[in-house]
Amino acid sequence: MLTRHLCFFLLLAAGASAQEPTAAVQVAGDVTRPLTLASGDLARMPRASVKASDHGVETLYEGVWVDELLKRAGVPQGDQLRGKAMASYVLVHAQDGYQAVYSLAELDPAFTGNRVLLADTANGKPLFGERGRFQLVAPGDKAHARSVRMLTKLEVVRLRK
Amino acid sequence: MRAWSACALLLAAGVSAGAEWNWNLPPGFPRPLIPAGNPLTQAKVELGRRLFYDKRMSVNGGQSCASCHKQELAFTDGRARSEGTTGQLHPRGSMSLVNAAYAVTLTWAHPGMTLLEKQALAPMLGTAPVELGLAGHEARFLETLRGVPIYRDLFARAFPGQAQAFTLDNVTKALAAFERTIVSLRSPYDRYRWGGEENALSPAAKRGEVIFFSGERGGCFHCHGGWNFSGAVAGEGGAAPGRGGDGFANTGVSRYAAPNRGVFEHTARSEDLGRFRAPTLRNIALTSPYMHDGSMATLEEVVDHYARGGRYSHPNKDSRMQPLPLSPEDKRDLIEFLRSLTDVEMTRDPRWSDPWEARQRPAQ
Ligand code: HEC
Ligand code: HEC
Repeated sequence: MLTRHLCFFLLLAAGASAQEPTAAVQVAGDVTRPLTLASGDLARMPRASVKASDHGVETLYEGVWVDELLKRAGVPQGDQLRGKAMASYVLVHAQDGYQAVYSLAELDPAFTGNRVLLADTANGKPLFGERGRFQLVAPGDKAHARSVRMLTKLEVVRLRK
Repeated sequence: MRAWSACALLLAAGVSAGAEWNWNLPPGFPRPLIPAGNPLTQAKVELGRRLFYDKRMSVNGGQSCASCHKQELAFTDGRARSEGTTGQLHPRGSMSLVNAAYAVTLTWAHPGMTLLEKQALAPMLGTAPVELGLAGHEARFLETLRGVPIYRDLFARAFPGQAQAFTLDNVTKALAAFERTIVSLRSPYDRYRWGGEENALSPAAKRGEVIFFSGERGGCFHCHGGWNFSGAVAGEGGAAPGRGGDGFANTGVSRYAAPNRGVFEHTARSEDLGRFRAPTLRNIALTSPYMHDGSMATLEEVVDHYARGGRYSHPNKDSRMQPLPLSPEDKRDLIEFLRSLTDVEMTRDPRWSDPWEARQRPAQ
């Protein structure tokens, strides 16, 4: 366990220093099926799009709803999301060390109308540069701080087991 | 010639010609807001351009707007602090006019200054300091303009149907119309980010972009955010959302002595002491020296100031001003990125150049 964490850290550190964006995004933590997804994997999943204002510039983002990814990772949703599972959240990691949190419930379309997109393209082109390869787009948020760019990992954390 | 008649037709039809202005914006970009009281017309823009470059705009014929807003310097003047037509020093440095049409507030630290029409009166009539020095000479100034044949023609076309077109109000409307057209989104960075030109940036500038937009590394985007690398912008469709507050921040640039106490000068609230506007970083390589007081000569100095978390401490200093973990290479990359924000075409775009000189050239 420790070595695995260590490995991950080394990988991250190496990635950050080379500044090459990570080519895959992980869905990990307290999940039954951890996922490592490259753009090609996302392309084969149900696609969704969101039109968002990027500081006043209209941008069309495409990708996969985060709840779809969580479902595939075996995270409780809908009727299953109750009791102790309600004290669960997703810790979002960016390549530069930035982190942000969503509760499991607010990512669940059965709970709220604010679905969050894991985007891999903007206006039809793969994300690049400061965006990294993957970015969250939270159209229900008024501020951009949880539309995490340079996304590397969605880590599911269950506080009560 | 054809443009004039097209314009006249639009006016006759009661359509605001502002909407018809060819802004030439990349897809998805908002058009600037045009105040209802001052629709944008070709004739008004042409008049504004003449006035902007006309030294008859000053009491002694020494200066025009362009004396402190030079096109080749992205409409700044290269001085730490501007000097007015009678030799008085302005407490602050000149500011770029590029994309000023989108700014939510104008000048370095004046929350109430929101309209280009109103701002133009400051250099014309201001007395602390004297810039163009027209206060008390308004009638003579307007009389002088009336005596210039080309102005009789241009004022009539810009303000059709007005018996008294030679007014200060109309002068500021024309100046503002011209300023609004100075929109530039053609830097190498624009071509890279929005134009699909992957190689428009050097690898160093690409690394610098990541630092600029990383809250853990540079954090610059917190205050110089979005496509204009500035505080809040507004365009058609409203102000861009964000939590940058009102766009003013105390960044520990100076000791903030009067009259450079920032927003405090207008509100007298202690929490506003030292709060200045985060200006656009577009064309920043052309607009040295930097900051409201011109106290930083180079981008290297600027980046060192930020790497230290602000060169002076201050109780009001913004919490986002923290020491940054930047290596010497990171700093060079960040500066490379800032240099990629320069639109060289803008510095020689004939639409914004001195029309009094262009007169010698064949008609465009
Ligand atoms: C003596 C030099 C000088 C002259 C002449 C001058 N300006 Fe300025 N301009 C400045 C300075 C200095 C500032 C910053 C003012 C402040 O912060 O109080 C400024 C700021 C501005 C701004 C604000 C830009 C922004 O992005 O907020 C505009 C617009 C402007 N000037 C337009 C004009 C116009 C129009 C004229 C002619 C009528 C003019 N200026 C004449 C020095 C000058
Ligand atoms: C907390 C908000 C904030 C952050 C973060 C910030 N800036 Fe600024 N920036 C400002 C303000 C406010 C000014 C004007 C300060 C003054 O004149 O007193 C400014 C001025 C500047 C200027 C000079 C502009 C001119 O026209 O003279 C440059 C260049 C600049 N910033 C670059 C950066 C870079 C690079 C970073 C990241 C390392 C950064 N800024 C981070 C708020 C910020």
